Amino acid sequence: MLSFLSPLFLAGAALAAVPIVLHLLKREPEARVKFAAVRLLKQAPVEHTEKRHLRELLLLALRITALLLLALAFARPFFATGAALGSSGLTIVALDRSYSVSAPGRFERAKQLAKDAIAGAPAGDLVGVVTFADEAEIAAKPSADRVLAAAAIDQAVPGFGATRYRAALSAAAQNLNGRKGTIVVVTDLQENGWDAGDRASVPEGTTIAVADVGAMPPNLAVTAVRPLADRLVATVHNGSTRARDARVHLAIDNRPAVDATVPLGPNQSAEATFAGAPRGAAATVTVDDVDGIQADNVRYAVLGGTNKPSVLVISGSGDLGRDAFYVQHALAAGTPAAAAFQVTGVGGAQLSAWSEDRLASHAAVVLLSTRGLERRGRELLGAYTRNGGGMLVAAGADVDGSIIADVLGAGSTLRVVTTGTRPEPRALAPTDVRHPVFQPFAGNAATLGLVTFQNASRIGGTGCQTLARFTTGDEALVECPSGDGRTLVLASDLDNRWNDFPLHATFVPFLHEVVRYLASARAHASEYFVGDAPAGVQRAPGIVTVGDPAVAAGTRRIAVNVDPREADPARITVEDFQSAVTRLKAAGGVEARVEARQQEDRQHLWQYALALMVLLLAGEGLLAARTA
Amino acid sequence: MPWTAHDRPFLDPAVVARLGTLELKARTVVEGLLSGLHRSPFKGFSVEFAEYRQYIPGDDLHTIDWKVYARSDRYYIKKFEEETNLDCHLMLDVSGSMGYGSHHSMSKFEYGACLAASLGYLMNRQRDAVGLTAFDENIVAMLPASSRPGHLLALLVTLDRLKTAHKTDVAKPLHLLADTLTKRGIVVLISDLLDNPEEIIRGLKHFQFRGVDVIVFHVLDHDEIEFPFERATRFEDLETSEEIMAVPGAVRAHYLEQMGGLIERYRRELGACGIDYQLLDTNRPLELALLAYLSTRSRAL
Repeated sequence: MLSFLSPLFLAGAALAAVPIVLHLLKREPEARVKFAAVRLLKQAPVEHTEKRHLRELLLLALRITALLLLALAFARPFFATGAALGSSGLTIVALDRSYSVSAPGRFERAKQLAKDAIAGAPAGDLVGVVTFADEAEIAAKPSADRVLAAAAIDQAVPGFGATRYRAALSAAAQNLNGRKGTIVVVTDLQENGWDAGDRASVPEGTTIAVADVGAMPPNLAVTAVRPLADRLVATVHNGSTRARDARVHLAIDNRPAVDATVPLGPNQSAEATFAGAPRGAAATVTVDDVDGIQADNVRYAVLGGTNKPSVLVISGSGDLGRDAFYVQHALAAGTPAAAAFQVTGVGGAQLSAWSEDRLASHAAVVLLSTRGLERRGRELLGAYTRNGGGMLVAAGADVDGSIIADVLGAGSTLRVVTTGTRPEPRALAPTDVRHPVFQPFAGNAATLGLVTFQNASRIGGTGCQTLARFTTGDEALVECPSGDGRTLVLASDLDNRWNDFPLHATFVPFLHEVVRYLASARAHASEYFVGDAPAGVQRAPGIVTVGDPAVAAGTRRIAVNVDPREADPARITVEDFQSAVTRLKAAGGVEARVEARQQEDRQHLWQYALALMVLLLAGEGLLAARTA
Repeated sequence: MPWTAHDRPFLDPAVVARLGTLELKARTVVEGLLSGLHRSPFKGFSVEFAEYRQYIPGDDLHTIDWKVYARSDRYYIKKFEEETNLDCHLMLDVSGSMGYGSHHSMSKFEYGACLAASLGYLMNRQRDAVGLTAFDENIVAMLPASSRPGHLLALLVTLDRLKTAHKTDVAKPLHLLADTLTKRGIVVLISDLLDNPEEIIRGLKHFQFRGVDVIVFHVLDHDEIEFPFERATRFEDLETSEEIMAVPGAVRAHYLEQMGGLIERYRRELGACGIDYQLLDTNRPLELALLAYLSTRSRAL
């Protein structure tokens, strides 16, 4: 479809009226002359009036066309495709495939609503389909083919993820690519779909419509299984308005062990306690609920496993209170029970005395200083990252780039230069907001820009991916592959010396996401939600064995369960849903404009228009000379 | 030796056109011309003494009366009443085409009439018998040649009453007049000659055959010579009312070629048979035409 980079110049096409007006204004009455020597004229090749009239009209048409082409050239035309195709409407259907819609008949209703939305999209609109739960997937890219979109809906099946509206709206907004359009969210409007303070951003002018699948049917769910020292406690929730007796079964390593009956009031939870089981065994707790959601009728647990990933912080002395005050408190935020990570500190010199297994027991390593890090310690760290460990290097004043290079080995291209930079205030700007590290900042990544970095190291490498840059253009955060593991390098410290990052609210979520991302490559938790399961683990509940038997850390069993919040029947209204969506002015428009400019640059249609105009003017000149 | 006048510029036809009567126009033109001539055009034409006049530089030395000089020690010249038996016939084309005149000059008819009046005035002053024949496709007015003093007035009145109207047939009146001439003389044809050149030339040769000297004044408007039109124009024939739409830019070259060919043919073929041909642009002074006449007349005597 033909679009214009500078459509305002099309107003210049009004200039085409100039020759018409001149033609009409300068149109003089036909001259009549009484002449004596007409007999001499009769022998001349007299030009017929009609022929001349035709020639004049042709001249007029040439001049008008030339002016129109001039206006067209200035308007920078191009044939728009993809994001630049902003003129046609777009309807994106976001279909909720979280397990809460998996109750009998509900997902069929959701699919029918989605198809209705496709069928009801305005004629000429492109349609696309996004399915979502914890994450969103593009089931059908925007196109005019509605059959394709309907087929994508037919192929969708409910999963085991929890509802995350932000993921759905973000994916849909990305598909809009700055165009005005409609996002139809087909969902059961679960309240837990929005996290606390969660918001989604869509381009300004986007219409959000909600197709309500309806309230959840009466449902029983096993929402937690807690292995205690001498017993196993299972929590069962009654999601209906009437009291029920829940029949709960425990199986150890797939062998039925014991059953229990739990009376439950309306919308109440109760616990079923079972006698202790051997450490390391896999426990499966199920509840009988034929009519409700099936996915939450079972919950798995690995008995005796720890639930918190351990993070090792390497500092100069190992005294975290002195060397890593901010990092320690950020990672261990909250009460000891609720802390997301177990934080351990070690000095660079002491690390040399560690064994490889001891280091491997940590989910992630945060390297704040290379002081005292001897060869043995470097080799341990190198082996740790090569074997799948995750390491965050805060390249501050205490980090020596050559030691980092030594740690990562000859195969790494990462280079860290911590001296020679000139103090200069700079801010941080993510270059890849889709990276898991920046997930908490989706739509609000600009808040990271509030952090002022006074000094920074120079980091980079040919094989490294730049996740964020400073406003000076230098790399701020890079990720470099290191064997099977991941290494993230921040070009500054985390101790409030080169920057004020620890003083900002974004510090804690940033550090948590970084460590979580690093730990995910070598997760040591024993229970995961389906959406957070380690890479390579099937997104389905169950007991899974992870790890490589060939490496020192060996294998372990983990429990993958559905997110129990999804079993909560609480709903929000459509208005509440809408109020959580922020319309960003020109959020996607910039991208669309950039895409449009790139397409226009590739096509150069304006040059053809100008060339054609020159040709027309040349023809006009010749014709005018003959007509004069 | 051709007649020339260098002492003062000739009268612009536009100026002459603004003069009142035809007689005034003729007198102004002729007297102006004569006063500028370096020698009298009337020398030796008569033996009848008129008066003495004091010599002024430029007078012919032959006219100085040496006897008077001997008596008075002053130069006097003898003036004679000029008298010849030369018959001059002015033939003026009054066809419709002569009515054309661009906005900045006299029409060809006005120019021709003024020229005829001036010639008549000049001829009358030198006692030549002058007659007038006005014609279009027929003879519309005819005044026999006469040198009587009152004849000039009759000629001027006749010229004054003429109007252009009809089609041209130049050859026919030429033959009619040639047949009626019984004496040698001069025939002056004033016409735009926009007719069949072959017929016209044959008619003029008829005069030659009768021993009559002929001078042809080919009167054309400046626009007819230059064809300066720019805009697409509908040209209407003054005689036939036939219309033709033409773009000047497209037909100019062909027209000028045609007109140039016509003029060149007259000049060549009339010159070949001893007929004086003078192309007159209505923008050019009438005196030039009179000078041309005087040259022819002196040759005829």
